[in-house]
Amino acid sequence: MEGLFFNVNNGFLEGIVRGYKSGILTQSHYASLTQCETLEDFKTQLSATDYGNFLANEPSPLSTSTIADKATQTLVDHFNFLRSNSVEPLSKFLDYITYGYMIDNVVLLITGTLHERDTHELLERCHPLGIFDTMPALCVATNVEELYQSVLVETPLAPYFRDCLSAADLDDMNIEIIRNTVYKAYLEDFYNYVSTIGSTTVEVMHNILAFEADRRTINITINSFDTELTKEQRAKLFPAIGRLFPAGNNALAKADDIDQVRQVCDNVSEYRSFFDNSASGQSNDLGDFGVAAQLEDRFFRMEVHLNKLAFLQQFQYGVFYSYVKLKEQEIRNITWIAECIAQDARDRMHDFIPIF
Amino acid sequence: MGDDYPTLFRSEQMSLMQFLIPTEVAHDTVAELGELGNVQFKDLNPAVNPFQRSFVGEIRRTEEMTRRVRFFESQIQKEKDVVPIRPLYDSAPLLTVGPSAAHNIDELDVTLAEHEKRLVQMNDSYKTLSERTRELVEARHVLRETAVFFEKAETQHTDIRTSFDDSSAPLLQHDDREQQYSSTVQFDLEFIAGTIDRTRISTFERVLWRVLRGNLYMNHTDITEPFVDPATNTETRKNVFIIFAHGDALLAKIRKVAESMGATLYPIDANADKRSDSLREVTARLEDLETVLYNTGLNRRSKLVKIGENLARWQDVVRKEKAIYETMNLFNFDVRRKTLVAEGWVPTRDLTMIQLALRHATEASGTSVVPILHELRTSKTPPTFTRTNKFTEGFQTIMDAYGIATYQEVNPGLFAIVTFPFLFAVMFGDIGHGLIIFFAALYMIYQEKKWARQELDEILGQFFYGRYIILLMGTFSVYTGLMYNDIFSKSLHIWHSGWDFLEPGSNGVSYAVSNGHMYPFGVDPAWHGADNGLVFTNSYKMKMSIVLGVIHMTFALCLQLPNHIKFKRPLDIYANFIPQMIFLQSIFGYLVVCILYKWSIDWSTRDTEPPSLLNMLIAMLLSPGKVDANAQLYPGQSFIQVVLLLLAMVCVPWMLCMKPYFQWKEIQMIQGQGYVGLSHHNGGHRESTDEVLEGEEEGNGRVIVEEMEEEHEQHDFSEVVIHQIIHTIEFCLGCISHTASYLRLWALSLAHAQLSEVLWSMTIEKFLGMSGIFGTIILAIVVVFWFSATVFILCIMEGLSAFLHALRLHWVEANSKHYQGEGYLFTPLSFAKLDEKE
Repeated sequence: MEGLFFNVNNGFLEGIVRGYKSGILTQSHYASLTQCETLEDFKTQLSATDYGNFLANEPSPLSTSTIADKATQTLVDHFNFLRSNSVEPLSKFLDYITYGYMIDNVVLLITGTLHERDTHELLERCHPLGIFDTMPALCVATNVEELYQSVLVETPLAPYFRDCLSAADLDDMNIEIIRNTVYKAYLEDFYNYVSTIGSTTVEVMHNILAFEADRRTINITINSFDTELTKEQRAKLFPAIGRLFPAGNNALAKADDIDQVRQVCDNVSEYRSFFDNSASGQSNDLGDFGVAAQLEDRFFRMEVHLNKLAFLQQFQYGVFYSYVKLKEQEIRNITWIAECIAQDARDRMHDFIPIF
Repeated sequence: MGDDYPTLFRSEQMSLMQFLIPTEVAHDTVAELGELGNVQFKDLNPAVNPFQRSFVGEIRRTEEMTRRVRFFESQIQKEKDVVPIRPLYDSAPLLTVGPSAAHNIDELDVTLAEHEKRLVQMNDSYKTLSERTRELVEARHVLRETAVFFEKAETQHTDIRTSFDDSSAPLLQHDDREQQYSSTVQFDLEFIAGTIDRTRISTFERVLWRVLRGNLYMNHTDITEPFVDPATNTETRKNVFIIFAHGDALLAKIRKVAESMGATLYPIDANADKRSDSLREVTARLEDLETVLYNTGLNRRSKLVKIGENLARWQDVVRKEKAIYETMNLFNFDVRRKTLVAEGWVPTRDLTMIQLALRHATEASGTSVVPILHELRTSKTPPTFTRTNKFTEGFQTIMDAYGIATYQEVNPGLFAIVTFPFLFAVMFGDIGHGLIIFFAALYMIYQEKKWARQELDEILGQFFYGRYIILLMGTFSVYTGLMYNDIFSKSLHIWHSGWDFLEPGSNGVSYAVSNGHMYPFGVDPAWHGADNGLVFTNSYKMKMSIVLGVIHMTFALCLQLPNHIKFKRPLDIYANFIPQMIFLQSIFGYLVVCILYKWSIDWSTRDTEPPSLLNMLIAMLLSPGKVDANAQLYPGQSFIQVVLLLLAMVCVPWMLCMKPYFQWKEIQMIQGQGYVGLSHHNGGHRESTDEVLEGEEEGNGRVIVEEMEEEHEQHDFSEVVIHQIIHTIEFCLGCISHTASYLRLWALSLAHAQLSEVLWSMTIEKFLGMSGIFGTIILAIVVVFWFSATVFILCIMEGLSAFLHALRLHWVEANSKHYQGEGYLFTPLSFAKLDEKE
């Protein structure tokens, strides 16, 4: 039934977002991008894509950060166009997408303040999708309580922070804990919210969010090896959703090394390939760090794959989320290639994650 | 054919030419060809990336120059007072061909870079200066507002003091100390003053309140005038705020929050004298700064004016250079890399002009090596190029919008020049409305030279583009208006009417009797206002639209013939054209003959009622051979109808089977001779010269593959069959529906006539009888209203609807009879068209 009336409010925006999606760079674009000798070539090459003349008015010595900024700006413009044309419940859904970026910004600001960085410099580094009015005031706060009381209480993030008010003072470890607690709360909330807006959306979004949650769980586990984080604390940080929940989460909470993580992941067929080293031919000499780096790459691949699947279904909101995520990945790819060109590291240039 | 006078009937004959251009004259040659605008270059390196081509460096350079020119343009546009840009036709051309070209371009590059540098410098200094001015202005505001605030507070303060005087509170202890220091200021609270963006003030207040847990007193007022950012020209509005709080920790927090929220803080002294001192100082500094700022602005402006004089010229040069190098990127180098090889489509007729241009380019560049031009033989379909002028352009565009004619196909755009305005006018027939749009078009043509140079807005531009169409539409409408005898829904009495009205009888009805006259042209005005007038015009217009429709379709069908003859497809004449013609004529042609025959008979002298032609046609199809004696039109009707029907029936299998059969036989014959599929045309398909083969080897192969696929399609027998089946069904059903479709001529013309009559009778007619000054005034108002309604509703709205219907009749009803429209447009390199693209 929801398909019947979906187009009344969201048909236009779905059309727009699918149009945006077809502008995402394809394999052949990447093939020609990787052949570029200089960033000037890169610019010429990009102007033949949907990015168009987004760099046309930049004076000549281009830097990779300009390219990344401008590319992000196109994403933000697209997103804002969607956001300002949307109505409930899509607008709420889109807001939820921004919450993730808001959390990142908050954590970035707190960490920056802790290390006594310049506030304005920090503000510039914030992701433009996650900016909110009272954000600058974050740098005044010195403990979580104050943070919550003075700034966060009126943002949509407030309920997520409520759980971590106990963390007394701000240090690197605690900030990391806060980030993960907040993110866990956010994911769970988003997951629940998605459940209220139509069955097709649920189907698509639950897949994506479940993977997101599992990815965080695995990451937290691996990162907490050999740190002060106790196993009980670790278990608290795991989102209570995802395909590893609950049995896998329990096992992960008790895991001591990467092999145990692998065993847990083997229970889910899609995740089995994450730790599969035989395909790449590089065996155990990578060490833990290498495995983690490779894992991250595979996570991104999986994410791209899931987000691509979202476009196979119509009449659902998942496409909006997926578009933002895919575009983000594309910006990472562009920046990576541009960086490789700038630093003349041609051998590593192909380590990006192709989307289409 | 190439020597014939150019015609719209078929598109130009094209030749695929190969240019061998020595590298040193390449630039000038392309420039010359671009001015000429007659060559469509083919991409000879489709496999090469844009940035791997030969002239990428030059393109990048021109792009950099374009960026600079764009920067100047945006700067000029941003300037509040208009900076004049000297138009292109007024400025001296910059020489970009010939021996000094490279030098000139280098010079231009340097000039542009210098201008940019200077402009950026000026902008920077202007920006810093205005930044400082802004700060000072803000400081002044803060000072003033705080002064106001303190004064106000002071009066209240003393009030409070007096009430406190009785109690010897310890709070007052250090009041004495303060009083020694300054008699007026009695505050021991520290405060912070500054300015902040107005949109942020509420957030700011909220955050502060929460951070300090309410331990503050904040006051803010609006600054009335907005601050303008010199770089972006955006206005920001700000507020002055003053915050009182106690304790260094709190103040530090306030400062931090304020700074991170983008507020500017100003050190303000609590002492009133000091405040007025600093106010004076600020004002003085502001005055100095403003003079400097004014001078800088003046300098910048004069610089911009100087740039504005040359801007159009630069834009032109840069644009052309870019187009030239982009074209040169399509070329191929020969083996020794001394010559550029180019291929392109050229109208055969213009070959001499191109040769002249090539020679001219060589002379201009001062070398003696002439580019070589020779023709290639190819089996590729050339692009469609129809030479138009300002008159035919509009009509051709209408037809091109449906589909570009196949190469050398009969071009319906030629006939549209007459048929389009005519069919429009059949629907729009009114002398008055016709005259209005005629004069509107005439005015646009009169203004042509002026308007062509201007940027018109979208709607006006559309009308202006179709001014000659409108002109003809107006003329034809006057003609059909005369035929219908309609002028603003009234009729003209030019000749004697053929009818006399008798004195009204007892029932108040007056009958008209024929007086033997014949009204020589158009509808007799006596019909206007007659009770059966509508019945008469309806029957008349309905039949007329059928007649016109069948004539139009027959004509469109006939246009197949020159195509079949030209492309040597005799089979199509026998298998398509002839049966289609017989089918159409035996049913609908017969109907038209009947209509004309029925019109020619004086039914009042016959003893039978006039038969209904519609019923006749239906009976002819449903019960062939039977004609009701009452409804007989002429003797022998049933026999003729049966024969015609049989003819039409025969045509269907004829159309269906003949073409596939003969094609099948042809394939059998070819196979019988031992040829198989591809080898059949590979032998004769391309007698390529060595250079072309070379080109193919270097990556031109893709094109050939496409070509073969294209050829192959036609030999697929099942596709021929399916195509023919679809074609037959489409034609037979189409004949019926298309004939009915022409009834829109009647419907729209009726609607138009009725609407204009309603407009007349609802407005002017009611007020015509009034006399006196009052009546005249009312009449004048009503006439104005009526006229504007006539223009907007009848001429523009109705005109647009009639236009669309005429368009449809051409696109669907007529074009489907003969038009293939599978060509692609000739898009030559042309500097003249560069402007339009942007």
